[in-house]
Amino acid sequence: MKNNEKNQEQRMAFIDFWANYVRTHDDKEWSRLQNIIINQTPGMTAEQFLEMKGHNTKVK
Amino acid sequence: MQITPNEIKLDRELSDLDKFAIGFAKSISNHTKYVIVSGYVSILLGRTRGSEDIDMLIPETNGKGWIKIYRALEKAGYQCINAAAQDSFSYLKDGIAVRFAPKGSPVPNMEILFAEEDVQKLALSTKMTAVVGKDRIFISNLELQIAYKEIILGSPKDMEDARHLRAILGKAINMKKLKEYEGVLHEKQ
Repeated sequence: MKNNEKNQEQRMAFIDFWANYVRTHDDKEWSRLQNIIINQTPGMTAEQFLEMKGHNTKVK
Repeated sequence: MQITPNEIKLDRELSDLDKFAIGFAKSISNHTKYVIVSGYVSILLGRTRGSEDIDMLIPETNGKGWIKIYRALEKAGYQCINAAAQDSFSYLKDGIAVRFAPKGSPVPNMEILFAEEDVQKLALSTKMTAVVGKDRIFISNLELQIAYKEIILGSPKDMEDARHLRAILGKAINMKKLKEYEGVLHEKQ
């Protein structure tokens, strides 16, 4: 099995594992863990953000 | 988490993205219907990935109606980061998203589009309520999300979002509805 296929398989296995955790645990518990990951917002300017997203437009 | 055909109830610890989504939805709901679609739906329901933006569909309106919404969002503390008021309506009419963020920070932001395509109108007409603690927001029907991500979008990230939703729904998934949406989207391709 190629490495990228193996990586993808492992990612899918983790998604199944985590979804099962979400289904079987209290909302407060899984969301507290999830927030550790998703609350890490990168600091950037609007111009940097739009450039990252491939927009060439900005408010004049 | 409790999932019924038209409603999801969850008592989660709110993330920064949730707080933004709830606040923004409250502001815009005074002026138009809306539905939140795509990645944030999976994230709200537990998917472990971050996002800088949330996708929102609103019904198409005329220029005057849109400017009223634009000004109301500004008044509520948001700024449009990619279009001035006078340009934003033509963006929306051309299918280009208009992004609103809290004043002073470009992220997170709400990526707003007019629901012009049939599948976007379907997302609006079949939306479901997510009761998040004491708040309510409208999100896309989960079976439609799964079908759209698997058939139309198809990137690894989208396939993972869809898999998460399938696993969260488990036996509650409405296979009849899923097949119906899959049929609609295959026709669109």
